[in-house]
Amino acid sequence: MNTIIFAVIFPFIMAFLVWLLFRNRRSDSDRMTVAAGMPVIGAVELAAVGNLLWCDLSGAELCGVSLGYGVGGLGLHFAYTGFRGVFGLLTAAAWLVTFLYAVQFMKNDMRVIRYDIFNLMTLGATMGIFYAADFFTFFFFFEIMSFTSFMWVAHRQTCASQYASGTYLGIAIAGGMAILMGLFIVYYKLGTLEFSELSAIAANQGGLAPVWLYAAAGCMLVGFGAKAGAFPVHVWLPASYTEAPAPATALLSAILSKTGVFGILLVTLTLLPFSESWGMFILLVGVVTMALGGIKGLMSSNLKTTLAYSSMSQIGFMLVGVGMMGLLAGLFEPGAGSGEPSGIWSAYGMAASGTLLHMLNHSLIKLVLFMLAGLVFLRTGGYELNRVRGYGHGKPFLLVTFLVAAAGVGGVPLLNGYVSKTLLHESITEYIMLAGDDAFRIIEYLFLFSGGLTVAYMAKLFIALFVEENEDAALQERYDADKNYASLWSKLAIGLCALLILALGALPNITADGIAAYAGDFTDGELLAVNYFSLKNLSGALISAVSGAALYLLIVRLWMLRKRGEGYRELFPAWLDMERYVYRAVFYRFIPFLLGIISRVLDSLVDTLVVILRKTVYRDRQLPYELPEGNCATHFLGRCMEAAERLRCAVKKKEYRPQNYEHRLALMNMDMFENVRIIGRSLSFGLFMFCVGLGLTLLYLLAANGG
Amino acid sequence: MSNMILLPVVFPIMLGFLLLLVTERVFSNRKILIYMTGVSFILCALLSCLAISGAAGERLVLFRLPDNIFVCLAMDGLGRLFAGLVTLIFVLVGFYSLSYMRHERNEKRFYGFYLITFGVLMGLCFAGNMVTLYMFYELMTLATVPLVLHEGTKEAVMAGLKYLFYSFGGAYMALFGIYVLYRFAGASDFKAGGFLDASQSGDTGLLLVSAFLMILGFGVKAGCFPLHAWLPTAHPAAPAPESAFLSGIIVKGGVLAIVRTVFYCFGAETLRGTWVQTAWAVLAIITVLMGSSLAFKEKVLKKRLAYSTVSNLSYILLGLSMMNTTAFVGSMLHVVFHAVIKSALFMFAGALIFNTGRTRVNDYIGLAGRMPVLFGCYTIVSLGLIGIPPMSGLVSKWYLAAGCLESGISVISWLGAAALLLSALLTAAYLLPVSVKGFLYAPVDSSLIEQYREPGPLMLVPIMILAAITILIGIYPVWLIDFIRGVGAALM
Repeated sequence: MNTIIFAVIFPFIMAFLVWLLFRNRRSDSDRMTVAAGMPVIGAVELAAVGNLLWCDLSGAELCGVSLGYGVGGLGLHFAYTGFRGVFGLLTAAAWLVTFLYAVQFMKNDMRVIRYDIFNLMTLGATMGIFYAADFFTFFFFFEIMSFTSFMWVAHRQTCASQYASGTYLGIAIAGGMAILMGLFIVYYKLGTLEFSELSAIAANQGGLAPVWLYAAAGCMLVGFGAKAGAFPVHVWLPASYTEAPAPATALLSAILSKTGVFGILLVTLTLLPFSESWGMFILLVGVVTMALGGIKGLMSSNLKTTLAYSSMSQIGFMLVGVGMMGLLAGLFEPGAGSGEPSGIWSAYGMAASGTLLHMLNHSLIKLVLFMLAGLVFLRTGGYELNRVRGYGHGKPFLLVTFLVAAAGVGGVPLLNGYVSKTLLHESITEYIMLAGDDAFRIIEYLFLFSGGLTVAYMAKLFIALFVEENEDAALQERYDADKNYASLWSKLAIGLCALLILALGALPNITADGIAAYAGDFTDGELLAVNYFSLKNLSGALISAVSGAALYLLIVRLWMLRKRGEGYRELFPAWLDMERYVYRAVFYRFIPFLLGIISRVLDSLVDTLVVILRKTVYRDRQLPYELPEGNCATHFLGRCMEAAERLRCAVKKKEYRPQNYEHRLALMNMDMFENVRIIGRSLSFGLFMFCVGLGLTLLYLLAANGG
Repeated sequence: MSNMILLPVVFPIMLGFLLLLVTERVFSNRKILIYMTGVSFILCALLSCLAISGAAGERLVLFRLPDNIFVCLAMDGLGRLFAGLVTLIFVLVGFYSLSYMRHERNEKRFYGFYLITFGVLMGLCFAGNMVTLYMFYELMTLATVPLVLHEGTKEAVMAGLKYLFYSFGGAYMALFGIYVLYRFAGASDFKAGGFLDASQSGDTGLLLVSAFLMILGFGVKAGCFPLHAWLPTAHPAAPAPESAFLSGIIVKGGVLAIVRTVFYCFGAETLRGTWVQTAWAVLAIITVLMGSSLAFKEKVLKKRLAYSTVSNLSYILLGLSMMNTTAFVGSMLHVVFHAVIKSALFMFAGALIFNTGRTRVNDYIGLAGRMPVLFGCYTIVSLGLIGIPPMSGLVSKWYLAAGCLESGISVISWLGAAALLLSALLTAAYLLPVSVKGFLYAPVDSSLIEQYREPGPLMLVPIMILAAITILIGIYPVWLIDFIRGVGAALM
């Protein structure tokens, strides 16, 4: 069981060691050593986490474990469950493949050692998050992760990355504080932060949650939603994803956003599991995130930004799943339990498994896509679609892996995205049937429409990269000749993820269902046999694909590429930038400005009072500006000294320069005069204060003795 | 050895006077002065450690005023906590000053008064009753004024005088309360839980007024609104070691006096649920937010840190005003953490001023490349002050907010917790940019930068020690929490 602690602490120790050994060294060989050592560390980590999974599968009892007594005040507690095992494994694997990939990507980066140190710390913190057994531990590592991953975004130290990292840090800290507020409320009202105890309490209270619980959950949703990239706290996401180096972006999108979703899942499952209104709220947030991300992704003319918005949109899909879980759980008969396999139960199982699987699938897909984008960037020097257009010609590895991942996220049958999206879609249609709520059809249509958006923006990227030719013919020729674009390690890293996508998608009833069943202990949802390739389920994918094709034709071909010679253009208007014109303006300028004014008034309250008193009671006057300089003594002395100086110069036959003794003496005199005056007045003020004190005392004595 | 408690009080004061009285000529070589001073710092610290580790419950009457008013020293848990803290910061700041003060005139005077201040502070920590506490409190003000106006510029003199006036004004307010206390209960020794029996005294109104005046009066030192204005004036004017000591320790003297007043004289029972508690908490909340937003707007680093002190001290006062054990633990933890962190921050500011001669935040952009260790330590302690795990600030903030909510005062308990978090957010906004811009931005004037380098070990090591403490206590705070809980349990 101590393997969990090892998995959490080992990366921190390694980070410390790397810092210790390489803190002042940055030669080529040093950087190569560090870069090559990273995959080894990643492999050790993967082995540790794999060992946990193996122990659990082979039937060993894995109970909770805590790290020391009272670390951080409340103590850190870890637990192992199937869900945690799967995501711990995914985390370690994702870090391993990005480490492999970074050997090539970061080869010429002078700051790779710093990057790796922070990377390792983030790995440890993320492990801590996934194995946390209470909210305090979760928060503890969540904050560490926020700060260490800040260095990913700030890594390139360009102006744009400085701006992006500022936003990232601001939202991360504000989100952290919001979570902390939620934790305070929960801890104060319920007296525990342990997940198991919280869900027991929640099960007792059923659907009737008090208002403060909603307040706490809302606070925490802000913080976790910010990390996940949910509307409206997603504003940091596009810029940060675009600015971070490709392996870091892959991790941001694949793992770090999932910690946010994990947090939201925890809030939903342990605090408000049976609350329909909470489920509805999450669902709405999810729908907006899903649609908005898709629309902005489609309208972007940048490869990496499109992928960033795609991440946001897919997070929206997951939130829809979480929301459906809440809504369906709200339908449970109170007290009926999870016994009979009613329709609600199977629908709930589909929503839960769909969410879990989509988290997993999206991680794999985004790992592949961002790593591929990084490869393209290495060779073309940019992410703009106009620049990378036509790069993919004659590169079969690039073509196949990109196609697998893009089609996967687009929900094409036989690939993994189709499985999870089908489950989510099914849970929505089941809910409509069970609740008899036809207005809910809108949600279903939006879901399919967002699926269409996914297809459309992936088609945009695919066609730009692999079908079209670059407008610059010479450049296209150079692209065509470029065969040596990926090292073996990079290919291995990307290929592994692509294979997993295929494995999960082609045999869903074995692989995907198995994983969902293993990880389902967390959501308490049981996945009944689903026929993924039934006509009804295939038709959902077909609707998405058709609408996606239509959207692509309409928006990209007819609007984005309308003007010949300009290529891909940014369609989303710049003045709708929420980050710059709402968040920064309000939270960074206006509110501090307002607080500043109020505080300034409060600050100078007593000082002003003193000044007024001095002006009125004490009759203090400013020194008049034009005092006659000096007095007769200084004038006389000064003139004498000046004459003496002149005489000395004359005797020594030097050039005479006026020394201004008269003026200097006058200044000294004035200085002395002022100091004496200040001290005199201060003493009298002190005496005055003393007298006031004595007077008060006298009054009091009189009153006390008289009464 | 029942006089053990007297030594850490008297010995430093004697040493200090000795240093002040000996003529300048003895120390013709600066090295002699430095070595002598360093040795006396260590001696004083050792004596105080001996006293702290001695038996509890020790009581020593120094002399008697008429009417059976004793001036006495006594040892208890709270006094130990503060004395230990004072000693730690005193030694570290002291050694830092040995290097920093090289460029200032009148070094000898500074060290002399610094030693005297230490002795007086020890007396304050071990004071056994209100009269003794008041005596050492006034002495503390007097002994620190020369340190504040050390540089002798007009600005420094004015700042010193402002400091003096505010402190005296506050002390007179407190004096009024002491008279009232004397009338009702005589000059009793401090007693955990308070010696005042409110039901017998009859005149509750007067008692409450005097309690409030004492809180307000001692609150001047602790930078409580509305009498906090001396802090942002005095800190930038004083030399950096003095700022560090002022912000780390001297202001905690006010906190100690308030704790003694509220929990050892009046008793939490008397004040809980009265208007005094409400008014006190409201003042503290206002100060928390005001200090943070002013710090955010401030561009001079030392002044920014001074406003930050205003805000953070009111975290402590807010916790005390809640009058329950959890909040008390939070307050005392924050006393420790804030002392450690803020003295490190001021030493950082001093090291930068020493190195570059510039005072504004924007002058430090891109300097971290030349001084990575200094800026690294700054980053660690900043994260501590914001309250990011695993640094220590989170622990105290947790207890403070939990205590606020636990108090159950209708609106204030929620407002208090929210104010703490909002202020933490502002703390991040005013502390982190220095470090982020230091590390990640390109320097404005790269020609100047070549001449800057990491400060010497005498300046750097104290900061590093404090940064290490910030992390270590943050990771393993339980022993401290248990100790404070032991002290606090008897008080409520």
